[in-house]
Amino acid sequence: MPALPRMRTALLVAGAALLARRALRGRIGRSPLWPMPALDRPVSGRGPGRGPAAPLRLRVAERTAAADGVVVLRLTGARLPGWEPGAHLDLVLPSGTVRQYSLCGEPAEAVCPKGGAYTIATRLIEDGRGGSREVHEQLREGMEVEVRGPRNRFPLADCHAYLFIAGGIGITPLLPMVRQAEAEGVPWRLVYAGRSRASMPFLAEVEKLAGAGDGRLTVAAEDEVGRPDLAAALADAPPHAAVYCCGPDPLMDAVAALLPGGAAGLTLHTERFAPAPLAPAGENAPFSVELRRTGRTIAVPADTSVLRAIREQALSDLPYSCERGFCGTCRQRVLAGEVDHRDELLTDAERDDSLLICVSRARGASLVLDL
Amino acid sequence: MSNKSAPRPQPVASERIPLKARNVAFDWADTPLHWIPGDPASAHTINVLHLLLPAGERWFVHVYKQALPLIRDPRLREDVIGFIGQEAMHSQAHDDVLPHLRALGLDPEPYTAQVDWLFEKLLGDRTLPPGRARVWWLKERVAMIAAIEHYTAFLGDWVLNADALDARGADPVMLDLLRWHGAEEVEHRSVAFDLFQHLDGDYRRRVRTWATAFAALVFLWQRGTRFFVANDPSLPGGRASARDFLRGGRQGVLPTPGGMLRSIPQYLSRTYHPSKYGSTEQAAAYLAHSPAATAADATAPGGS
Repeated sequence: MPALPRMRTALLVAGAALLARRALRGRIGRSPLWPMPALDRPVSGRGPGRGPAAPLRLRVAERTAAADGVVVLRLTGARLPGWEPGAHLDLVLPSGTVRQYSLCGEPAEAVCPKGGAYTIATRLIEDGRGGSREVHEQLREGMEVEVRGPRNRFPLADCHAYLFIAGGIGITPLLPMVRQAEAEGVPWRLVYAGRSRASMPFLAEVEKLAGAGDGRLTVAAEDEVGRPDLAAALADAPPHAAVYCCGPDPLMDAVAALLPGGAAGLTLHTERFAPAPLAPAGENAPFSVELRRTGRTIAVPADTSVLRAIREQALSDLPYSCERGFCGTCRQRVLAGEVDHRDELLTDAERDDSLLICVSRARGASLVLDL
Repeated sequence: MSNKSAPRPQPVASERIPLKARNVAFDWADTPLHWIPGDPASAHTINVLHLLLPAGERWFVHVYKQALPLIRDPRLREDVIGFIGQEAMHSQAHDDVLPHLRALGLDPEPYTAQVDWLFEKLLGDRTLPPGRARVWWLKERVAMIAAIEHYTAFLGDWVLNADALDARGADPVMLDLLRWHGAEEVEHRSVAFDLFQHLDGDYRRRVRTWATAFAALVFLWQRGTRFFVANDPSLPGGRASARDFLRGGRQGVLPTPGGMLRSIPQYLSRTYHPSKYGSTEQAAAYLAHSPAATAADATAPGGS
């Protein structure tokens, strides 16, 4: 090969390389992350609470009686996550029992730079499952407890007016909501029912919040005035108001039943403060699962997970891995049926339409899955 | 069997271990941005893992869920199921570092949004007809994962032996994350390659996907380091340089270029099997003492 053309090729290549380098440099100088496109809605690093939240070790700083049979615990620690009205904590009791308690203090107290505080209140339930008895009898000031959370399954949606209906200790998630509504100047009313004034916690505080007159607060102590007139409260509510109700099941069922007879366009939000009694392992109930796309219905025996039942009876190649509710591989979409979520991974939004079939079960008699 | 048959990868049987995901949690509150004291450039070079792994390992899980029905070997199937859970936890654990980086003033999202695009869109499920085309794309991705896992196992083995990080006083939580992750990578280092061999095993595909994966890793890694150093609020006008990288390698806080170059012919050898490199025993020994892994085992129902 003659020397001249070879040199010409070399020069051309070198020149092209230099030009390309200059063009790229300038381009990358203007936008360092050129030339890759980005996902419009990024997935990575979004939001807290993916994965198990690290448990917090908190100190019981204060233990006071708020009413007959109700103690208020103030738990302190450094760097507490913030929360919004409606949130609850998982409290790990000395015996290892885990119970959920609504946060009823001020959200601002949690994120105080000098060390935050959470406030919870519990009522002693004589014939309960033992959680409240343990709180009342064993938790003393100065003790350390482990908590997880806070999580919020009962968030306060923006609305032009609120009607709060509390039954007894059900006041706890509603109290921060009332304070927030008051602080933001949103009209609110509170119907607070209980057995007797002495047994109703935070009564003085809600009376102070409501101020004198104008009928924002209706206190219905059963030993004085009997049961509250829920029908009247719902009928008097401003149209399209948001109704937040927490209390014993009969109270919440009554509100749900009376809602259609109330003002127009009311929306109901409830939280069961004794979340559906979770059967301890070994006492699970059997139920059925319909696989909508496959067109089959299978039975899930009491001692078998949904995952195992589906794998054995219908779809043997279903993906899964940890079988303990944390890796998320077996997540499936729920089309109908109420889920008893037992995982520790999914966010509340994800729980609305999906479940981890390795641990979670049906709350009722059946589930319909998108499989 | 004739002497002329092509050399085949032979696993080292004693390196196999049953795989299970560990439900780890890390508390990032006390971890500084420059978690290797006095060496921000090396810390950022390793921090690139947090940019690539959340989306990347989520993608592994996504691809392997599709590969699961094609596996005909029950033992490999068990391995893949364990692998999926471990990768899912790796992705979650690294993902949890990102909000902490943001809180320290270094928002990773401009970069992670691109990595998300790479794995969710470019390497995601294509609109392909069911059948051959779809299987081809699945095999291609399975082969890419095998190539990437060669490097994660390399890095895992490196971090388990990187005593210089301890000597330099690196943040214990970050070190535990890296070593827990590294140990599990070493533990399951054969799975991706075994799955590739089981589903396909074509040598040309192995070389082709290795070249793609290697080029992409080099491209993403140098870019990630430059991104971090340029945007670090405590390093105004900071620029990442190759010299810092070589220095980190010499000081033992980063892998050395020599070690990385030597790992290339390993993977391209026709008799390569991941079980020939790294030590399962060392990985298991670390996992038995890792604060995060032992805490996860302790809270497991029925755990010891």
